Amino acid sequence: MTLVAENSPPTRAVRAPLGRLLAAEMRWALRRPRTLIAIALLALVPVLIGVGALVAGNSERGGPDGLFAALAGNGFLLPVLALTLLLTMLLPLLGAMSAADALAGESAHGTLRGLLIAPVGRGRLLAVKAFGVATVVLTGVVAVAVVGLVTGLFIGGTDGLVTLSGSTVSVGSALARVGLAVSWVAFQVFAVAAVALAVSACTDHPLVVMAATLAGALVFGILTVIPQLDWLQPYLLTTGWTSITDVVRDPIPLDGLVNSTLKATCYLVIGLSLAYARLSTKDG
Amino acid sequence: MNRKRVSLAAAAAGTLAGVTGLAVLAVPAGAGPSPALPSISADQLVRSVLEVKSVPAMTGTVTGTNNLGLPSIPGLGKASALLANGSTTARVWADGNGRGRLSLPDGNSEETVVYDGKTVWDWESSAKTVKKFTAGTAGQEREEAVDPAATARKLVDLLDKSSVVRVDGTGTVAGRPVYQLVLTPKPTERTMLREVRVAVDSETRVPLRLSVTGNGSAQPALRIGFSNLTVGAQDPALFQFTPPAGAKVTTGEQRVPEQDSRAETAPADIEPTVVGNGWDTVFIARLPVGPMTNADPNAGRSGQDSDALLKQLGKPVSGAWGTGYAISTSVGTALITSDGRVAAGAVPLQVLTGALENSR
Repeated sequence: MTLVAENSPPTRAVRAPLGRLLAAEMRWALRRPRTLIAIALLALVPVLIGVGALVAGNSERGGPDGLFAALAGNGFLLPVLALTLLLTMLLPLLGAMSAADALAGESAHGTLRGLLIAPVGRGRLLAVKAFGVATVVLTGVVAVAVVGLVTGLFIGGTDGLVTLSGSTVSVGSALARVGLAVSWVAFQVFAVAAVALAVSACTDHPLVVMAATLAGALVFGILTVIPQLDWLQPYLLTTGWTSITDVVRDPIPLDGLVNSTLKATCYLVIGLSLAYARLSTKDG
Repeated sequence: MNRKRVSLAAAAAGTLAGVTGLAVLAVPAGAGPSPALPSISADQLVRSVLEVKSVPAMTGTVTGTNNLGLPSIPGLGKASALLANGSTTARVWADGNGRGRLSLPDGNSEETVVYDGKTVWDWESSAKTVKKFTAGTAGQEREEAVDPAATARKLVDLLDKSSVVRVDGTGTVAGRPVYQLVLTPKPTERTMLREVRVAVDSETRVPLRLSVTGNGSAQPALRIGFSNLTVGAQDPALFQFTPPAGAKVTTGEQRVPEQDSRAETAPADIEPTVVGNGWDTVFIARLPVGPMTNADPNAGRSGQDSDALLKQLGKPVSGAWGTGYAISTSVGTALITSDGRVAAGAVPLQVLTGALENSR
């Protein structure tokens, strides 16, 4: 038996099935206690908003303030409102956290070395890591939306799902709108996480990734409010983020959502390319 | 080594593609060459515009850009956003039979006006209120104020006598080929305006864009027009409105203070005096109580507040006609006197003061 094995020509390295790799990365990403705690805390936000709106809605002094005012007795607005609020800072932070863990974190523990010297293409390694990040982001966004939907329907009931345009929509249409919001938000956050992944490939310190992403988000916010830098705004990812409110208008104006999705695709391509460039030149 | 170089090249190409994509998205599509259209005389064009009886079935986005040069005033809310430099967007629908829908998105809220042929519904999401008018009253005036078609038609009508009207080639607005109709004041007119440019759709003859340019400025001070337009049948459900559950419905009220300030029409109880004609027309009105009481939509503001506002906006002037504050923009001037009169027009200050003296 051993003779046969020795004499047979060297076979090609057996590739681990992609499905198994992805499942392993997903498990690895989702079973981290910090990820689970972060997602759970994010999912608490819609509950807080819902309870807050319920309490404030009873007193008349809370002046009309857009979505908040429309929330009273309007269940399906809650997940959209929660996503709107979280998109500005906390969801990108979740993406950055998981991107920091994906490469810089492994690097800090010394486990990235093992992956780099393994006979695995660097592109494949990056793809699996990016998939893990995407899983965490999507799980976070879905958790916020589901908890928001349940809270909203619990508070507002299923009748009277009113859009901002004043039309009443069916439960099915409302669910489709929340679904659209979820996929759009998840993609935007994933674009941020892709840029964070590029930073993550360049450093051994997860904290640097978090700091860089947070600083980036703040700088984008500051650039948006400087009138002299108006020309810069179409290039910034964050300026498209106001269009999430469009999913609760009737009919849905798609141009803002499509434009911001294309913009996010550009950021995604840039982020992943830079991460790949750094990863492919990294020595084991 | 070679593989490393290949992957680096791939990464560089990816980055480049991403950056190019961003640039393409950010820079608006160039105007391209002017479309070749059969030539038309200004008279024919104006007539064909006036002959358009109703807006065809279409949907589009109307963007108004304001470069008047007024400062933004904190505390004025929506009115400030409209007055100060910036742009406002509205989405419009028409079914070709006179029914229409207008929606004004504003951050996290929206105002929707639906005309279903009999009734005008005005929904405001932030307050959850519906105002209901019977046909042919305030709502129609309201739509006229925003619809560039009606606005331009009115202007052409009004300005024809005192202006030079010509067709200045062709262009593209919202992806549709247009004729550029240009109105310039005759030399005798004492106005601050240099030209009014109307882009007329070559096919439907609906004005698609209106720009007003003041003297000594290349950029239009005011520009309202379609940034996006699709002509074609619309979903009839868009022109129906059922007040949602829990909304407060008010009926019959024809004039709402906020609408007045936005449509820039004088309140009903003030009949303005018109001095002069053509481009140097001056409107003189008397305010009901004290200066600036109607210009401020936030009821309950004190007189001192509005005085402070006047000081912030205008500069004090005085003459034989009295004293007051002049508010000048790049296309016009307004003068508010201490005895409660308001004079306004697309004219320099001297014309206003002259009109005030003569109207005494």
